Amino acid sequence: MIENEGTLYETKLGPLPTLTSKPTHYCAGCEHGTLTHLIASALQDLGVRERAVLVNSVGCSVLAPDYLNVDAVEAPHGRAPAVMAGIKRARPDLLVFSIQGDGDAASIGLLELMYAANRGDPMTIFLVNNATYGMTGGQMAPTTPIGMVTTTTPRGRDLALTGPPIDASKLVASFERPAYVRRVFLPVTPTPSTEFFNARGALEGALAVRHAFEVQERGGFAFVEFVSTCSVNWKMSVLDSKRYAAQVLAPLFPEGVLRDRFHMESA
Amino acid sequence: MSGDREFLKGNEALAYGALHAGLNAFYGYPITPSSEIPETLATEFGQGNFPEFRSFLQAASELEAINMVNGSAATGAKTMTATSGPGFSLKQEGISYAAGIGLPILVVNVNRAGPGLGNLGPEQSDYFQATRGGGHGGYRAIVLAPDSVQEMAAFPSLGFSLAFRYRTPVVILADAFLGQLKEDLVFPEVSTSSFDTSWAATGARGNQRHVLASLHLELDDQSLATHKLHAKYAEIARQEQRYEELESDDARVVIVAYGICARLARRAVRSLRARSVPVGLFRPITLSPFPNQGIEKLIGQGVRNFLVVELNMGQMVQDVRLAVNGRAQVSSLGQVGGLIPGTEELVRAAEAMVG
Amino acid sequence: MMAGQTAAPDRALVRIDTEHCKGCDLCVVACPHRNLRLASGYNRSGYHPVEFHYRGDRGECTACGLCYWVCPDYAITEVAKLRP
Repeated sequence: MIENEGTLYETKLGPLPTLTSKPTHYCAGCEHGTLTHLIASALQDLGVRERAVLVNSVGCSVLAPDYLNVDAVEAPHGRAPAVMAGIKRARPDLLVFSIQGDGDAASIGLLELMYAANRGDPMTIFLVNNATYGMTGGQMAPTTPIGMVTTTTPRGRDLALTGPPIDASKLVASFERPAYVRRVFLPVTPTPSTEFFNARGALEGALAVRHAFEVQERGGFAFVEFVSTCSVNWKMSVLDSKRYAAQVLAPLFPEGVLRDRFHMESA
Repeated sequence: MSGDREFLKGNEALAYGALHAGLNAFYGYPITPSSEIPETLATEFGQGNFPEFRSFLQAASELEAINMVNGSAATGAKTMTATSGPGFSLKQEGISYAAGIGLPILVVNVNRAGPGLGNLGPEQSDYFQATRGGGHGGYRAIVLAPDSVQEMAAFPSLGFSLAFRYRTPVVILADAFLGQLKEDLVFPEVSTSSFDTSWAATGARGNQRHVLASLHLELDDQSLATHKLHAKYAEIARQEQRYEELESDDARVVIVAYGICARLARRAVRSLRARSVPVGLFRPITLSPFPNQGIEKLIGQGVRNFLVVELNMGQMVQDVRLAVNGRAQVSSLGQVGGLIPGTEELVRAAEAMVG
Repeated sequence: MMAGQTAAPDRALVRIDTEHCKGCDLCVVACPHRNLRLASGYNRSGYHPVEFHYRGDRGECTACGLCYWVCPDYAITEVAKLRP
């Protein structure tokens, strides 16, 4: 309830106690910030803050414990799924989750991700796929599209040299035991006929985050990939990065529910 | 089992010792000559004999194993892994994080021979790697060196109590000989001690959060964190030096040896004493912190000759020289490749120093 | 009390923490009614923070919350509806 100049309003959406008051270090318009908010909202709605443990590995999300007001354990680059498996096996009552970048999860930490997926360990992994190494300054990522210029592919990513981009969601879904695998296009999307951008990604994302936690509570392995942007390292304006993502990344990493063992999407 | 006489391999005894010490979780990757440790634990897992043993997993790699160890340890669980040289190298990443974050973990290294793949024989060539902190960033681990199957069984309990008291990685540095050696032992009484785990990440309570991290982006913060870490190491060095002496009171030459070499040295000392040659033994039990206090005491007693015997080309000898600091003669006798020096060789070398 | 701005049109209210805002434009382009815009002034971090601005040609705020969900800095701190 808010009172403003004598008028009473009913709060629909408000500040979340699962967030700290610290401003994020994320660049303007970055989906890392959006995802942080979605996670905080789900933790609050589910009432699980006191059982939640964030595992932060290396990349832009290494500072996530500064923003999410929950317990946290730091993992070396790529090793978050292994650390989460250790936490969960010692304390099955806890709710463990990681926020990982594409380099973290699909390059240096691919083995840890694949084995956690193969075992189907109850855990929740959020992958932010922005097709570049954000924190180290815009180098090639496993998900960088062919032809994209990065600081380590200055003439564009070369298929013959590096092979094609890796599809982490497909890899995870290739195993039998993961219970929930979904890819969401998180950025606002340009609408062709109007000046507006569509915010559907954030709403879909909010739902996917919630499902990914609920799946773990039911004993399942949940993995959600968020196709995202990195305007600073892509060297574009914020809105141009959203347009580029819609044009180039969306077809390369199509949205979809790749696994839904507990029928979360139809519930 | 505790109190009964058993006949076990060193690796099996270590596994049971850890279970008696209340082991909660074990993660590992097979590697000779340490594999009997996960094999023994796998046999006991889920059988109800050790109800506190809640988690066992053969990981996909040493990297996955050590990070699972860190995860369980972060919840305050008594957690262990076991490996040998090449796997110990891979685990250094996680051990560095455990040191930086302050996680109580127990890592067993059954030292094999040579760099690279080397061979499966005993060496003590991982001494530097274990005692200097084998990973990045200038940390130290507490390093315990058993010399018998009895100590293989006893040291997990000691290791956990040190790891939790100081929130630091503890390494049990054995060798292929001790791991495979079979002898009799009596399991120590089951320790019922529980440790302070108020720091563990088990969920926030109100404003009380547990953020376990080694990241300190502000230079002043990292400087402070490193100084605090090293103040802890100084405290450990003051409180936790452990060693054993044999016939050292009137010795003119003292053999310094640990692990399997200490057993050989013990025989050499007995044989020399039988001929009234004044030779003694100094056996470091903690390799880190190195028992400088014991060396200091021997120097005070007038010992002017040390013979350092180890299964490498001379590593611990450097710590002895640092402790001696020019006040005595320090000689080195090394054997490598998985070979073990004969007692006669030690007898000859020590007798030559007596003059 | 956080630094902020409260705008109250006839049907709904949006509270903005102008000091957390990085002026990225996402809420501006996501608002179906174009009720938000970047201010001409600066906040303490040097960004043009978002402000409520009822343009009048595309309807007024319905408290749909899209601005709240897309904001990477959770600077739209509260969305409320007029109490019936």
